[in-house]
Amino acid sequence: MRILLRVLTILVLSWLALPAALAHGPTRQKVTLTQEVAAPPAEVWALIGNFQDMSWHPAVFASTGEGGNAIDATRVLTLGQDGGPTISEVLYKFSDEKMSYSYRITDVDVAVLPVTNYSSHVTVKPGKNGGSLVEWRGAFYRGYPNNDPPDNLNDEAAIAAVTAVYKAGLDALHERFPGN
Amino acid sequence: MPFMNVFRGTEQRILGVSLFCFLLNSPAGVPALAGSFAFVTNQSSSDLSVLDLEGRREIRRIPVAGQPAGIAVSSPLNAFYTVSPDSKTVRRFSLATCKVLAETRLPGGPVGVAVAPRSGLVFVSDWYNARIFVLDAENLATTGELETGGAPAGLIVAGDGSWLASADRDSNQVSIFDLPAMTLRARVTVGERPFGIAVDPQGRIHAANVGSNSVTIIDPRSATVTATVPVGDRPYGVAFAGGHAFTTDQYADTVSVYRLSDFEREGTLEVGEAPEGIDATPNGKLIVSTNWFSNTVSLIDPETVEVVGEIETGDGPRAVGRFIHELPGGNVPCQETQRIE
Repeated sequence: MRILLRVLTILVLSWLALPAALAHGPTRQKVTLTQEVAAPPAEVWALIGNFQDMSWHPAVFASTGEGGNAIDATRVLTLGQDGGPTISEVLYKFSDEKMSYSYRITDVDVAVLPVTNYSSHVTVKPGKNGGSLVEWRGAFYRGYPNNDPPDNLNDEAAIAAVTAVYKAGLDALHERFPGN
Repeated sequence: MPFMNVFRGTEQRILGVSLFCFLLNSPAGVPALAGSFAFVTNQSSSDLSVLDLEGRREIRRIPVAGQPAGIAVSSPLNAFYTVSPDSKTVRRFSLATCKVLAETRLPGGPVGVAVAPRSGLVFVSDWYNARIFVLDAENLATTGELETGGAPAGLIVAGDGSWLASADRDSNQVSIFDLPAMTLRARVTVGERPFGIAVDPQGRIHAANVGSNSVTIIDPRSATVTATVPVGDRPYGVAFAGGHAFTTDQYADTVSVYRLSDFEREGTLEVGEAPEGIDATPNGKLIVSTNWFSNTVSLIDPETVEVVGEIETGDGPRAVGRFIHELPGGNVPCQETQRIE
């Protein structure tokens, strides 16, 4: 949590005025993190398989949205605290059967998360000893859409920020189901 | 696809039987290819996978520094060209040896590449500066620049070498230049944010509009729009075979299919995740999509319009451009590099 807050602080400090264009950098990035969780897939999916409730993630203070788990459902995540920065997202794939959903960010300040054109997939698979393997994957471009990005909005910064978000969420799931 | 799963599953245990199945299947399902090879730029792993499309395996992995995206294979020039946007480097490789023969660093943001063998020129789009670099096809010296709209991405040269077209993403247009004169013929308004561009067997331009989930078809002679076809979510590239057009729908993990005779949409095929590059073998027997997230290519039979196989690649296969090369029977490219066993 402390690391996450530090990451968020760095991100807020790294604010730069940018045109709200649809342009993006030349190289799409991807991040995949997995975590073994000591609970059956159905139990883990029951916790995280609701697009309208992301309270399992320690960085998420509140979530409001429309459309439930239907395609094109939306949610706005408030981070950290009441009145904190927000991320707007839209659901574009959802399957209870595959225990997987996919969403895109429709609006985020690069000061909050230094990425553009971000899409992500959360999947629960069978893990070891009857447990689960939670997989979280993202595809995105860096926060700076133009050539020769500053360090805080380059490809490495985007990968580091997304990795930190995923790790915080997966660590929380790991702790939530301590097993026997 | 289910068939391939069965095929792959049995491969290890009962090789003889699967080989027999393959031979049985071959005449009906996938006709034998006269040595087709894909040259796939892997942007995340900064290398290039050489795929034997007949043997369905990766035969070479060539290092290409600087996160390559753009690719142009040219049989007449016996070369393939790569563009690495991160290091802003364009390279010419020998098709025979897969060794680097020339290399240059460009200013701006080089991304897409196309070759005009008759003019002895290579064109490279500059994503950030609304221009196309004109390079000598042999030594890659810059010989000129062409002005485009904002963020030119995909480039294509007509089969007869008489024009060059660019998808100008941020201007929602396609620029067409006469060759070899290199004068502007027309700027044609298309859908939102065109990225990939290709020329069909009838000589028409197809521009894939990432922002409006459609393809705009242009007659390059009259520079007018012939049709607009709705396709899947975030189309990146277009390729043609068997009277069909195929688009990679990056967000939908599908390839959309439409008929070239009347531009009617025919359906979609499930491929790997985040498909981007797409090309046909010159004999028209296979369509190949490069699946950026899955690190695979999907193989599509244009006759049956089915996915018939998959080959693994390096990390982040983009293959923006024309990336398939055909060799006469038995010949293999990259003779002087280490073969992957």
